[in-house]
Amino acid sequence: MNMRRYGRVFREFFRACLVEELEYRSEFFGNFIASFFGIAIALLTVHIFFYQTDRLGGWTYGEVLVLLGVFNTLRGWIDFALRPNMPRLLEHVRRGTLDYILTKPVDSMFYVSFRHLVFWRLIDVALGIGVIGYGLYVERYVPSAADVLMFFVLMTASLLLIYSLWMMLMTTSFWVVRIDDLSFIFDSFFDTARFPGSMYRGAVRFVITYVLPAVLITNTPALALLGKWSMVAVLAALAVAMLFLWASRRFWRFALRFYTGAGG
Amino acid sequence: MIRVSHLHKSFRVHRRDAGWLEAARSLWRRDYRVIEAVKDVSFTIEKGEIVGFLGPNGAGKTTTMKMLAGLLHPTSGEITVGGFVPFEQKPEFKKMMSLVMGQKSQLIWDIPPMETFLVNKAIYDIDDRSFRRTLEELTELLDLAPLLDKPTRSLSLGQRMRCELAAALLHRPRVLFLDEPTIGLDVHTQENVRRFIVDYNREHETTILLTSHYMGDVAALCDRVMIINYGRLIYDGELSVLTEKLAPYKRLEVRFSRLPNVDWSEYGEVAEIEEGTIVLRVAREKAAGTAARLLERFDVRDINIEDPPLEEVIARAFWEEHV
Amino acid sequence: MIRKYIALLRMKYIEMLAYRLATFVWMTGAITQPLITMFVWMNIHPEESDSFVFYFMAVIFVERMTSAWDVWELDREIREGTFSNLLLRPLHPIHWAIAENIIYKWLFAVILVPVWVVAATFWPALRPHMTASQIMLFLMAVVLGAALRFLLSYSCGLLAFWMTKVAAVYGVIDVISLFLSGRIAPLEMLPPALREWSEWLPFRYMISFPIEIATGAADGGELARGFAIAAGWMMALIGALQWLWKAGMRKNQAVGG
Repeated sequence: MNMRRYGRVFREFFRACLVEELEYRSEFFGNFIASFFGIAIALLTVHIFFYQTDRLGGWTYGEVLVLLGVFNTLRGWIDFALRPNMPRLLEHVRRGTLDYILTKPVDSMFYVSFRHLVFWRLIDVALGIGVIGYGLYVERYVPSAADVLMFFVLMTASLLLIYSLWMMLMTTSFWVVRIDDLSFIFDSFFDTARFPGSMYRGAVRFVITYVLPAVLITNTPALALLGKWSMVAVLAALAVAMLFLWASRRFWRFALRFYTGAGG
Repeated sequence: MIRVSHLHKSFRVHRRDAGWLEAARSLWRRDYRVIEAVKDVSFTIEKGEIVGFLGPNGAGKTTTMKMLAGLLHPTSGEITVGGFVPFEQKPEFKKMMSLVMGQKSQLIWDIPPMETFLVNKAIYDIDDRSFRRTLEELTELLDLAPLLDKPTRSLSLGQRMRCELAAALLHRPRVLFLDEPTIGLDVHTQENVRRFIVDYNREHETTILLTSHYMGDVAALCDRVMIINYGRLIYDGELSVLTEKLAPYKRLEVRFSRLPNVDWSEYGEVAEIEEGTIVLRVAREKAAGTAARLLERFDVRDINIEDPPLEEVIARAFWEEHV
Repeated sequence: MIRKYIALLRMKYIEMLAYRLATFVWMTGAITQPLITMFVWMNIHPEESDSFVFYFMAVIFVERMTSAWDVWELDREIREGTFSNLLLRPLHPIHWAIAENIIYKWLFAVILVPVWVVAATFWPALRPHMTASQIMLFLMAVVLGAALRFLLSYSCGLLAFWMTKVAAVYGVIDVISLFLSGRIAPLEMLPPALREWSEWLPFRYMISFPIEIATGAADGGELARGFAIAAGWMMALIGALQWLWKAGMRKNQAVGG
């Protein structure tokens, strides 16, 4: 993969969608308010929980806020880049217009994932970062340089992991053409990552930590920023991310073979 | 059956310019302009007529039809359809009329058309015997038998349209509004639909008003046409009369083995010239005579005398303010 | 009218069968959020785990039995113009929505009741302890809650005649409902300010009130008051719906169709 070239292609997608969105400038204001409202509600929810206790799964109020910020940031990225493309892929498969994309000299998986970007969702990312900052403030913790570095590394791992899981879900649309919005499934799954993994018990905790690593995605970067990281955990996270990325690519390739074989 | 008198319809459209400042301003100050979609339209349609309603896009056809169906409230003027005032939307009015919109289907997407028919049966209070009779008749006329039990989404556009027509006629409406009924259909289905409409109208004396872009529809179905342009009714009368008024000429298509070098203006107006063929527009009275002269003087391979194509006639009408 | 409803219900039933898979996916979404919240509360007050398990299972059940998505249906139909198709027929469009609601609630009941029965044999915490009159009142409250949610949903849907962002408006209302209907926390766990609001707004009567009856938390005077307020809201929403409908028809006939 030629990184420079894909960087350029991504910039083009970015520019095209930005222009498209600036057409609807009056929408911008409404979206801004919606994002603020969303984060306010999330904060209120945490507040209600902590009205009754001062620890959640062993995490303090400030720590939970940092987790919430990480969750919001990651979800902002999903809504910015991944979510807008899912219904379009379904349309392409249903209508057979995927052929059009397959003949373009760009990797189909890349194109299908990033063609459409929704800019105002970056507000969610910004707000998430703000909440992280607020959480650190409440916790009275200033992350060290190593903390921050590990945080970025783990966030990257999380983004890769999210991308892979999302991509695998999208790929199932080749077979399950009837369902309009598979992203619903991802949302339900990802929602479990909103809270500390230590909160869950038994079989559920096992599943979301080791099988579908929702907990890994949000908890690990949050813990890193709070100074609670270990080299082993970081390497493990990266390894898992790479593994899932590889798996999603194989799955996509498999689906394409199925599609072109059957469609003709 | 249908009486329309001095019908007006205007819309207030908010004018929204692009840009930050304008978008913000539009939040409290409403700039709008008035669009007059229909201006002072009057006509009467008697029972059993099939009338074509023509006009360029945006001329006011669909707006008028929606007012006739009761979906829109006129700004001023009177409408009665079968004795009812459409926009009052009385149930009895709805039971005696039907509107088929070429692009908006009333058939429910994921289930067979038969289910939609059964729902209509209940909604329109059709008793079992009438329903069975009507369904049999429509199934035969429209060849619906293989289609009724397949989900609507699996039918082709043509098959869907046939079921759509059946659904609209189950309650034996006295008035039928067709808005672009053959749009998007292949030629074969278009002909079938036209044939069906003619037969049905003859059998049941249903009053039919249809809008269409296809001249084939108009030629096959309508003795009478109304032309609307810029919201005004510019012609209301027989199609043949329209042709005579607007295009009082015939098309002479002549094929030569080799095109003679001649000043054609003495024979007629040149419409087209190609390899060995020339198309002349000749005044009706002179058409036969001109043809004879050409056959006499030149080595003619083939000659054809035709009425002007309907598209040309209608297109000319659209240029006129009043016909 | 009965015949019309039978025909509508039959049609909606067949339509629902065509959407089996999609409905299943939507249901999973409705389950995960209450479950996650349940885990949070079990973590906060481990000693009350049993009652939380019952409470949140009940939330899932009652939420499904009262759910109404008419706001999105109406928004789409009005925007796409397919609403006109309904207006042309001699039957008020609301009956189509009511029929759909009935069919889907029937479906949810058919799925959830056996699941609850099976789950209750394994987890004693899930076994309800209700007298016959409690069951009766519980069912009445559920029906009332379903009616309230439907009326609210349909009324908001009608706003599509005037605005394009109806989904956003309803989204805000739904979020408020999350707190005040007892889905984020049993109402007695909320800060007193929110508890005040929940008593007077209709949201409590959509989810929490029936559950309070089932657990015995609401009885006697509380019961009567609850039903009275709920009935009051029902009247108010019916009035609002009628007004919105008339205004909507006028607007539609002026510009839409």
